[in-house]
Amino acid sequence: MKLFFHYKNTDITYEELIKDINKTYEIKKYVYEKDPYEILKQLIISLINGNQITLLDSDFSLEEIKNLEISEFELEKKYKNKEKIKNIEDLYKKIEKNKDQWELTLYTSGTTGRPKKVIHKLDTVARSVKKSEEFMKNVWGYAYNPTHFAGLQVFFQALFNQNPMIYIFDENRKEIEETLKKYNVTHISATPTFYRTVIPYFKNPVEKIERITTGGEKYDETFENQLKKYFPNAKIRNVYASTEAGSLFSAKGEIFKISDRIKDKIRINENNELLIHKSLLGQSETFKLENDWYKTGDIVEKIDENHFKFISRKSEMINIGGYKVNPHEIEAEIKKIENVVDALVSARKNKITGNILTAKISLKENIDEKEMEQKIINNLREKLQEWKIPRIIRFVDQIKLTRTGKKVRK
Amino acid sequence: MENKIKEIINIVLEKNNKETVKDLNKETSLRDDLGMDSLDLAELTVRIEDEYDVDIFEDGIIDKVGEIIEKISKR
Repeated sequence: MKLFFHYKNTDITYEELIKDINKTYEIKKYVYEKDPYEILKQLIISLINGNQITLLDSDFSLEEIKNLEISEFELEKKYKNKEKIKNIEDLYKKIEKNKDQWELTLYTSGTTGRPKKVIHKLDTVARSVKKSEEFMKNVWGYAYNPTHFAGLQVFFQALFNQNPMIYIFDENRKEIEETLKKYNVTHISATPTFYRTVIPYFKNPVEKIERITTGGEKYDETFENQLKKYFPNAKIRNVYASTEAGSLFSAKGEIFKISDRIKDKIRINENNELLIHKSLLGQSETFKLENDWYKTGDIVEKIDENHFKFISRKSEMINIGGYKVNPHEIEAEIKKIENVVDALVSARKNKITGNILTAKISLKENIDEKEMEQKIINNLREKLQEWKIPRIIRFVDQIKLTRTGKKVRK
Repeated sequence: MENKIKEIINIVLEKNNKETVKDLNKETSLRDDLGMDSLDLAELTVRIEDEYDVDIFEDGIIDKVGEIIEKISKR
């Protein structure tokens, strides 16, 4: 019996999933749930019925949901589950049959400002899914929120290949190594921040992992070396995806390739901002297009006609007395220092230089903070220009993460 | 309060490899006497703001230690 989902202490097989689907009488149009299995089950039911479904992050407060302008009446809307499923092949058939009627609404993580609504069809949300015999034995370590784009990517890939999903997103960090080994996980998909917060708890390498997929943050060499240490047999792939456009590019290391298939729909403008043609996007009323092109807000460096490097989010560049600073660059330098686990560099306003840099840094256990502070400053002084050095350093236990597992930068 | 301000000024000076002060003089100039540059001043104002919730440069850039004390006392 093939395992479908592992979450906390529960294991659910594909057979049990199908039985459960058939027992479920109705589902809501707006899914606002904590339990990841429930979310995915309802998503599947919407797919086989060809219904519209909206996935709401469980950590939206009711206040925030009101601000999304969804009425209480809408929130209570329900659909009847009209389809009975015989087996997994039947499930796939029904999904295919109803895919034109199906619509998925997501809200972007809104790291700056209000979450924006995006509507996707199966073709955009499952754009990069590959179904094949060779994927039959894959077991997925699931480390994303299932209401977000990256989580959905893993879900569709696993579902269409009948692979197990082992949910480790909010599991106790100390138990993850054991869980990965117990379930013979072969593939993990998570943000770099997730890996960074989990790896310090690993005692030994996890050799069965064949592929590590990551994304959502700028490439970091120190980080990649750490991954290679604990996942020695894994191919490491960096994915560029967004809630608006879905999965677009993939990179080994830091250089992203623009496939021939979408080459004419990608542009880099004179400000080095990445632009995507509207035909690649999901639907939204809030996309600001400039002549059919969507400005991603990502600053990139063109390597050649088919390749680029991600530099920073446009909004993340910090202006210090006229000098533009990329906080990622500084975080990368800080993380190279021994005993540093993670760093977050931010701006603090002042009337003299506009901004100065502050840093939140998490250290390994039992490290003297005062000593480290001076060590960090001295180290950075040797490598960076004066205005790039964080002036106020605070040591924290953990760097706060957004709903998509990225660092909170505001 | 003056001791605390001295402490904060010395934190900024020491971290940035500048000579610290033993005693505060109201006439001491942050730039000329203590050798603070723009980044040092920016850091100083942020640290004082964290401690006293006062932006000492709110009404313009000040230069003397005495002016700092004055701004904070006003609140």
